[in-house]
Amino acid sequence: MTTRVHAVEGLMTETADGPRLLGSKCGGCSATYFPRDSVCHNPDCDAPAMVDMNFGPTGKIWSCAIQNYQPPAPVITEEPYQPYAMGMVDLDDGLRVLGRIDVDDPMSAQVGGDVELVVGRLGGDADGNDVVTWMFRPI
Amino acid sequence: MREVAVLGLGMHPWGKFPEKSVTKMCREAVEVALADAGVGWREIDAVAAASSRFSGGKGWGLNGNDVVEEMGSSGIPVYNLSAGCAAGGNAFNIGHTLVASGLHDTVLVVGGEKMPKGFIQTSGVEDVHDPEFLRQRCVGMPGPAFWAMLARRRMAEYGTTPEHFAQIAVKAHKNSVHNVNARFRKEFTIEEVLNSPLVSYPLHLLEICPVSDGAAAVVICSAEAARKRTTNPITVAASTVATARFDDGITRGLGGIVPSGPTHHSEAKQAVLKAFEVAGIGPQDLDLVELQDNTVYYELAFPEEWGLCEPGEAERLVEKGETTPTGKLPINPSGGFQSFGEATTAQGLFQICELGWQLRGEAGERQVPNAKVGLAQTLGLGGNATAAVLKR
Ligand SMILES: [Zn+2]
Repeated sequence: MTTRVHAVEGLMTETADGPRLLGSKCGGCSATYFPRDSVCHNPDCDAPAMVDMNFGPTGKIWSCAIQNYQPPAPVITEEPYQPYAMGMVDLDDGLRVLGRIDVDDPMSAQVGGDVELVVGRLGGDADGNDVVTWMFRPI
Repeated sequence: MREVAVLGLGMHPWGKFPEKSVTKMCREAVEVALADAGVGWREIDAVAAASSRFSGGKGWGLNGNDVVEEMGSSGIPVYNLSAGCAAGGNAFNIGHTLVASGLHDTVLVVGGEKMPKGFIQTSGVEDVHDPEFLRQRCVGMPGPAFWAMLARRRMAEYGTTPEHFAQIAVKAHKNSVHNVNARFRKEFTIEEVLNSPLVSYPLHLLEICPVSDGAAAVVICSAEAARKRTTNPITVAASTVATARFDDGITRGLGGIVPSGPTHHSEAKQAVLKAFEVAGIGPQDLDLVELQDNTVYYELAFPEEWGLCEPGEAERLVEKGETTPTGKLPINPSGGFQSFGEATTAQGLFQICELGWQLRGEAGERQVPNAKVGLAQTLGLGGNATAAVLKR
């Protein structure tokens, strides 16, 4: 039976309402961090106070691109290779984050488009598991 | 601090040289630079070298030591500088400081690199604490895709077209035809650029620099000493280094803050603006710029980020041919990274050599008429950047 494994553990949690990204926010300067961090790195922050934050689910595409050629490992891809879209998304709760954009036609991803977090499959691993990660789906 | 001059320039051609070690390539560049300066190896008081990422240096980036052993171990101090693709610029900055401070009189600055095939794998480690590994494993966004994302944003903001991007590549290759050190010396049409394979939409193969092997060296000394050897020396009006700021909008790992304004490439902007300040010049004083064009996008973004033109004006400059050697703002008359390919850690010195030849009026068919002031700029992994202003 195929099971799902995260591409890297500890970066997201799955809820009934889609995934959330496990990051941090500084109560002193509002700086956002992903992955989680225990200290604030803002040189002008005089009252660092880090709290865990689960970021998501909605945001806007700052910009996006298409991976036209098949990239080498450690990127996870499938055979036969299909170009995919990816981009940088500004989540409504203040995190700027990279991710794949879950669209059938990679040209359909647009700058400024509204998106929500979903869990998407990157490919399979040697044990036959589905390797999944966070992705952004246009809404 | 005393004024510093660039006395000797030397370059090994860029290309692929599987039969030659990076140290032998550096040797050729150093020999040319020494001869150009009229200086013997035993007159070199210290070496500042770029630490290579992929070649030589005993696996520790000790490329300056390799060069000294190759040229003859004279016991002089060696400084190996690591700053990603900004390493050549960093080495120049340290060399400049050594001479300007009076610590050393004649310093060799050298950088050489031999690159593995394919696009650059920046970290190469499979470690969940490495941001670059996380970016590739969880997202799959190699360097060219990141550049493509920046280019696409520009298209949305300013209406940049595929033809604008292509025209920059056409200009670069047109310049390279006249540069014996360039790897690719062939002209392309806009159609040929746009018909080259898409690497990462909207960027095509001919709009992204490939990797190359290359080496370059310069000999620097006090301006006072230089004036005894030449009537019109090239002087260093500024040499600066900066690193990225916390509020930079370009995410270095997987995620971070949403910036409050357009704060991209803050390392490069700070290095360049500081260089203007130190040199006591403004953008209007520049006769030419050699900037780090890993992709054509940077020839649009950098000039406006540094105040060389208004935001969104760069496309108009390209359309009117103002960035060609005879335009108002000549950019990369050498042919740039587009025509040379990137020998990462050597690029900073490749730029200093081109500025030097241009300011001496020795650049032949690609000469910027009456060039008096030139700017060079690098950008490297880790948020490193350098700038230098040279003048005659
Ligand atoms: Zn803080």
